[in-house]
Amino acid sequence: MESTLDRLQEIYDYREMIFTQVHRNIRGRYKGSALGFLWTFLNPLFQLIVYTILFSVIMRNNIEQYSLFLFVTLIPWIFFGTCMSEGCGCLRDTEDMIKKVYFPREVIPISYVVSQFINMLLCFTIVFAALFIAGRITNPAVFIYLPLIMMIEFSLALGLVFIFSAWAVYLRDVKYMLSIITMAWQFMTPVMYSVDMIPGNLVKIFYLNPMTSVIVAYRDILYYQQTPEIDTLAIACVMGAGFLIIGWHLFNKLKRKFAEYL
Amino acid sequence: MQDEYSIEVDNIKKSFKVFYDRGFTLKEASLFKKRRSYETRTVIDGLSFKVKKGEAVALIGHNGCGKSTTLKMLTRILYPDSGTITMHGRVSSLLELGAGFHSDMTGRENIFINAAIFGLTHKEIKARMDDIIEFSELGEYIDNPVRTYSSGMYMRLAFAVAINVDADILLIDEILVVGDAAFQEKCFCKLEEIIERGTTIVLVSHEQQQIERICNRCIWICDGKVKAEGKPSEINPMYLEYLAKREKDLK
Repeated sequence: MESTLDRLQEIYDYREMIFTQVHRNIRGRYKGSALGFLWTFLNPLFQLIVYTILFSVIMRNNIEQYSLFLFVTLIPWIFFGTCMSEGCGCLRDTEDMIKKVYFPREVIPISYVVSQFINMLLCFTIVFAALFIAGRITNPAVFIYLPLIMMIEFSLALGLVFIFSAWAVYLRDVKYMLSIITMAWQFMTPVMYSVDMIPGNLVKIFYLNPMTSVIVAYRDILYYQQTPEIDTLAIACVMGAGFLIIGWHLFNKLKRKFAEYL
Repeated sequence: MQDEYSIEVDNIKKSFKVFYDRGFTLKEASLFKKRRSYETRTVIDGLSFKVKKGEAVALIGHNGCGKSTTLKMLTRILYPDSGTITMHGRVSSLLELGAGFHSDMTGRENIFINAAIFGLTHKEIKARMDDIIEFSELGEYIDNPVRTYSSGMYMRLAFAVAINVDADILLIDEILVVGDAAFQEKCFCKLEEIIERGTTIVLVSHEQQQIERICNRCIWICDGKVKAEGKPSEINPMYLEYLAKREKDLK
């Protein structure tokens, strides 16, 4: 087995492959469609409209500017949710390359998560525009916490994509299981509601979900314009690092037989 | 000196599980244990050989003898069950042409994608860009989407990228059948040039002529072991005789 340092060095040597794969994922995805790259923005916007109609017109709540309240967490969630439900298939999608060419296998999941992450960053331009227009940017200093929480969410997503994409090579059910789990996970995370609405005795259980801390921090920073609580950040940090380490090692164990099982 | 060899293969073994009815889903994996019966097929059984620096070696053998499996282990797509493989230097493998090509992107963009898979950096690709385009003979078409290419153009581009990856060790699997006669000749000349530069080459091929032209040594693999090795002109007749006899036996 290679050591972590050797693997990192090799991935660094293949950095151009990560760039081109990300380029391929982002530009290649919507090529040939009439609206092309606009779909990157349209997809989340439609989701936002549907959920806003559902939760502020039909099932009313008394959160002010609910669409914004939702928007600031929906964009980070879509990044994470897509990584879960679709990212687990990334090795299968690049089967041809894996069976025929040698390259450090980590490149594929990394490229996938980076592509999705860049999509999220692009969508964040709209989030900022919306916050600005709504006059909610009252304390821009809190934005310095944003890169930190993004990094945490990134490592969480990457760790889980390492685990599930490698597992999905051996067991095809993983993909179908994950599409159900991701849906449930979204409702079990305070994306569309606030933590206060969770019954008191359940709050602790909700915080076992690593995405709860992440989403709460995003909302604190963007919607409430306040410094996220240290507890929240610390939990998120530990979980993000933990999943990344587990994923990194598990992937290393499973990767040697990828070409045989694909 | 240790560095005398580019490739050292020491007693490697590799077997595959051949499933009669492989269960890939959870239901199949848990419920139908009996159906998942398999036999273990040993493909490589104690193979050892060494390749000197700058040598061009051909692997020959009948279909299913384990040539391609060996090549895949050299390039680290597969790993041996036991034994060791040591490679000294940068390895590039031409097992598959056009890996990762995206049909909606231009030839130029695809050069970047494809060359990056071989582990080249941005700078290195840029430095080779003109050579690659020239070699591919695509001219102005290079900025058109690859889906508009004819299959010949596609293969020329893919080969142009692969052949311009400067490696210390080049592994080639039966892909020298690209384009028309003129382009094939060009590929051969390029290969000869690469060999002269001191690159080690391992080639899998069924074309006796190709082998005799390029390689200075031949390794005959049979039943996962080295059956014979030596000059192509000596090994080839023996191998052909064996093939003829084998065919007779099968009948």
